[in-house]
Amino acid sequence: FRFKDSLAEDLQGADLVISHAGAGSCLETLEKGKPLIVVINDKLMDNHQLELAKQLHRDGYVLYCNCSTLVETLQSMDLSALKPFPPGQPEKFASFLDKVFGLQ
Amino acid sequence: VLCFTGGHTTEILRLLSCLSESYSPRHYVLADSDKMSEAKIRSFEQKRAETFSESQFSLDRIPRSREVRQSWTSSVLTTLYSILYSLPLTYKRKPDLILCNGPGTCVPVCLSAFLLGLLRIKRTIIVYVESICRVETLSLSGKILYYFSDYFIVQWPDLKKKYPKSVYLGRIV
Repeated sequence: FRFKDSLAEDLQGADLVISHAGAGSCLETLEKGKPLIVVINDKLMDNHQLELAKQLHRDGYVLYCNCSTLVETLQSMDLSALKPFPPGQPEKFASFLDKVFGLQ
Repeated sequence: VLCFTGGHTTEILRLLSCLSESYSPRHYVLADSDKMSEAKIRSFEQKRAETFSESQFSLDRIPRSREVRQSWTSSVLTTLYSILYSLPLTYKRKPDLILCNGPGTCVPVCLSAFLLGLLRIKRTIIVYVESICRVETLSLSGKILYYFSDYFIVQWPDLKKKYPKSVYLGRIV
């Protein structure tokens, strides 16, 4: 899997995704509307991945846990409680840059 | 000129997705140890070329200034080395805009552009978009570039409160 260009096909066919908290992984999964359990890597420097997982969990989009609590989470999860994830808006960024450069 | 590695690549390509062809030619700067980003970029640019026939881009590689879990002292040394390496690249490209979103690799490129600006060789606008992963705290690159960038964009309101000079546009990736 390390060198696969895109996991889109695999994602499409999945009923549940268990992933690390990398932005790309989370966003791609949530945008495909797949239920997501995020697992935090305790060894990464200052563990910033935890912030996103916590926020997404707070907002009701994902379940989260760490390696040792994964089994427990799988056993007790309620996927129907997860909310659908609204897409980001890169057009706002484009608009902002256009203003900066006087292109609007 | 854009720089990223790994997951940052996905984010930055999304940021680019709505940009008009005024933002051309695009020079991508990658860490030499990054294998997957090149494929993603080529794929992105290929799709873009379907709509904008005159789309131009290039790819450069620089030594990665920091590996995950690298110690602080050796990070300083490798970053200094990267700045030296970046200067000729930034000088050659003289970008109007540098867009980056966080990996340590982007710091030397931005600092080299900042330096060229101080020396009045080329005034580059540096736009830093903090990763969507950063909800409550800034990355190390963010903490540094908060002071060197022209526009510092955050994607969560908590960060806007903590860093008042930042720009908050909501979630943009």
